[in-house]
Amino acid sequence: MNLSSGGLPGHPAIPEEFRLLCMLHNIGATTTEKSMSIEEVTQWTELDVEVLRHLLQKLRQLGYVEFVEVDGTKKYHVTPVGITKVMTLYS
Amino acid sequence: MKIGMLTWEYPPRIVGGIARHCNDLAIALAALRHEVHVFTLDFPGAPAFEVTEEGIRIHRVASEIGHPSFLTWVLLFNHFIEKRIADVGQEVKFDVLHVHDWLTAPVGIAFKRSIGAPMVLTMHSTEHGRSGIHNPDSSTIDGIEWWANYEASKVITTSGSMKSEICDHFRLPWEKVEIIPNAIDSDKYQGSVDREAVRARFGVQPQEKLVLSVGRLVPQKGIEYLIQAVPSVSWRSPESKFVVVGEGWYRDHLQHLAGTTGQAWKINFTGFIPDHELIALTKSADVLVVPSVYEPFGIVALEGMAAGVPVVASEVGGLAEIIEHDKTGVLVYPRNPDSIAWGINHVLSNPDHAGWLSQNARKFVPKAYSWKVIAKKTVKIYREVAR
Repeated sequence: MNLSSGGLPGHPAIPEEFRLLCMLHNIGATTTEKSMSIEEVTQWTELDVEVLRHLLQKLRQLGYVEFVEVDGTKKYHVTPVGITKVMTLYS
Repeated sequence: MKIGMLTWEYPPRIVGGIARHCNDLAIALAALRHEVHVFTLDFPGAPAFEVTEEGIRIHRVASEIGHPSFLTWVLLFNHFIEKRIADVGQEVKFDVLHVHDWLTAPVGIAFKRSIGAPMVLTMHSTEHGRSGIHNPDSSTIDGIEWWANYEASKVITTSGSMKSEICDHFRLPWEKVEIIPNAIDSDKYQGSVDREAVRARFGVQPQEKLVLSVGRLVPQKGIEYLIQAVPSVSWRSPESKFVVVGEGWYRDHLQHLAGTTGQAWKINFTGFIPDHELIALTKSADVLVVPSVYEPFGIVALEGMAAGVPVVASEVGGLAEIIEHDKTGVLVYPRNPDSIAWGINHVLSNPDHAGWLSQNARKFVPKAYSWKVIAKKTVKIYREVAR
């Protein structure tokens, strides 16, 4: 199972925000210390900044992502609940 | 023996049955006085190394480099686990490496060469069974699974159906694969709970019937068929309420589907809940439904049986081996909402019969599925390959 597949044949596509959550997890943004700014995440994911902001906001509302402010910059990371959510895809 | 256990999930990093399986097996092996080292991935808040009160040495490894591609990420974390085993291996001479599923197979394969210890592989499921081989990544995963099965000295599966599946799919010699079922700690399900209070926390009133489902919210668990069965169940048992415990990428779709039944108000998606709460909820349910379409073992069914709740399960894989139809549970047709509704109504409308089913199951589970027995069988395999 993987993200490039868009889900399983005959089933709905994996939601966009969930794809982003998996990417954040795989690039290592899983703790406060490893949080990443929107610019850093953009470099990895090549997503449009506005799209990224919107998806991160959605993931925050769901409790899967949090941010910390470092020198006035918001840096995002996956929460423990978010990590477990990601693992449901691969387990 | 000195045992190196490799798994990508281990408590508190829990998502499916593998974490619990590895934890309980490690505890049972340690109780038999074996030295168990677990190598796994890190998790926020968990120490990088700890020795548990049972004596298990847990090495949690951080992947220091990430990559958005899942497969690349897997190879990277295998690399970092490999480095940790190399360090530990300077002081500990392992007799056997026990790999659980394909995710940690690359490091197991590498280390069986370098330290000269045999590798045992437990196949909890296959990519072929989970999602089918439908794109390049799933084909790669299938390939790694084949490679791991080829490299292992012995392969363990938890059910006869899984043994048939991997022998057929990977063309393994029948004698290379041993069946050792999963087990549970039945003691966890003893004792009483305040049933009304537990049910109330999940929005179920005393006079209502609690239909429970527990599992990852992914297509293979078949929750969509349970949701489609809700109107039929409600027609026969209007007082029924449905609680769906678990999380997964399919959740949005399932909640949308629940909305189309006209009975969404009766269906509560809880997400993940803590283990102690799950045990209390299971003990407070009127029926546990396991509607899987693919289930190599089905430990959730065992947990329900140990908790004394009647189980209705799809007649697939390990579930069909655990449950004797209408004696220790009720088997229904997979992917069939009418059949699932029949099974649930069969239990809810016959309380005496339901009680008899759950009593039979409760007596049967500790005898057949104890970790002590399973650990001894596993050690027998370790000794066989370590000769």
